[in-house]
Amino acid sequence: MPEKKGCLGCSFPLVIGLVVVFLVLFILSFVAGPLGEGLLSVFGISLDFPSWLTVDRPDPHLPAETVFHLFGFPITNSVLGAWITIIFLVGVSYIVTRRMKLVPGRLQAAFEFLIGWVYDLCTSVAGEKNGRRFFPVVATIFLFVGFNAWLALLPGFGSITIHTAEGEAHLLRAANTDINMPLALALTSFVFVEFYGLRSLGFRYLGKFFNFGEFIKGVKLLFQGKVKDSIFGIFTGAITIFTGLLEGLSEFIRIISLTFRLFGNMTAGEILLLVVAFLIPWLFAIPFYGLELLIGFIQAIIFAGLTLIFLTVAIEAHGEETH
Amino acid sequence: MGGLASLGINLPTLIAQLINVAVLFGLLYLVAYKPIMRMLDERSRKIKESMDNTEHIKQQAERAEDEASKRIEAAAKEGQEAIARAVRTGEEVRQGAQQQAKSEAEALITRARSEIQRERDEAIDQLRQGFADITIEAAGKVIDRTLDKKTHRDIIDKVLKESTTLKKG
Repeated sequence: MPEKKGCLGCSFPLVIGLVVVFLVLFILSFVAGPLGEGLLSVFGISLDFPSWLTVDRPDPHLPAETVFHLFGFPITNSVLGAWITIIFLVGVSYIVTRRMKLVPGRLQAAFEFLIGWVYDLCTSVAGEKNGRRFFPVVATIFLFVGFNAWLALLPGFGSITIHTAEGEAHLLRAANTDINMPLALALTSFVFVEFYGLRSLGFRYLGKFFNFGEFIKGVKLLFQGKVKDSIFGIFTGAITIFTGLLEGLSEFIRIISLTFRLFGNMTAGEILLLVVAFLIPWLFAIPFYGLELLIGFIQAIIFAGLTLIFLTVAIEAHGEETH
Repeated sequence: MGGLASLGINLPTLIAQLINVAVLFGLLYLVAYKPIMRMLDERSRKIKESMDNTEHIKQQAERAEDEASKRIEAAAKEGQEAIARAVRTGEEVRQGAQQQAKSEAEALITRARSEIQRERDEAIDQLRQGFADITIEAAGKVIDRTLDKKTHRDIIDKVLKESTTLKKG
């Protein structure tokens, strides 16, 4: 069989044609953007491009814009973004699991692979029994954060504007870029961590935060006249109370760290894409879209993974301390 | 609170997002996790069952192979024995037939011999009879008188008898 000459599975003329088109588009977009405009103005050249060739100056708003009201409840564009993610995830899950087969088709195999991968992650960290218990929480966080980030890269998010009572507003926005959603996820994570901690260890779980035993023992020794021992006991008791309170505080700090990590990364990613698309419109943003795909996946793993670790620590670490 | 508001935190949206998370959790639990975990468990169970069955079948096949080789060995042994027995029987039959043929032949020869002996004796008797008559006649002619035939004959018979007895003996 004669060897086919070409590049990347295409014939040379096709590859050369594509490269030329790519370069022309790139040069055109560079010149049309403010970066190229600035560079040309140095040489005294001023070109007038049609409005559809240029991208508006980005004007990011941290608070989400209200799109409409439902029963007096404001529905923001980020809530709409969350709904789209929910509809997508539930719809795909329903289509896949509607007619499940023991020998799976392609779609079922892919979905099972994804879910099975998260399940394996849970069991490898928390063990077989606890991993199975934590899996729905971890998987929900992972799927939502990941798919919300990826779906927000589709055309329509951040580009469709509508007129509302408060003025011009974007119709859709990635839910992760509105701080309310990362906060809601962090609160969910917190609630499940405390729930499983209390469920596994009962009131002993609270002993991690309110540990007065040593202090009371020291005070008792003081009343018994053992001054030297009591001072030592009271001192270590005070330290134990302080570390307990710090432990309690760290539970709440987790909420803040989880919230701002996700919010910061996702918002920064969105602003980066807007800025890149503004500076050099069209093709230049493509590599950054790839980067955002990766960041979306990484943030999903980090959020879900940290929740899994907090859950595992909540039911195990304190148990070990009490031995 | 102004700082938080500038970040975009507001209670109604937070509640809406919490509800969204709860709804997503519930729906995914029903349409994704539950059926998929059931299917994964079912598949694990089937694979385990298949592996157990394979092991069982393998053991059965090994047992059957052992049994078959044992049977083949026994059959071969039996066959060898049957062949040896047949050869022995054949040999016995051959020897019996040979023996029978030999004894029949011997009996035939014996019978033939006794027949020959009997015919010879008869011939000798006839010859002797003829010879006596000729002798008497010859003697009568020599002495030119007729001997008492009866006496003469008795003498000759006696002589012949003695000579015959001698010959036979």
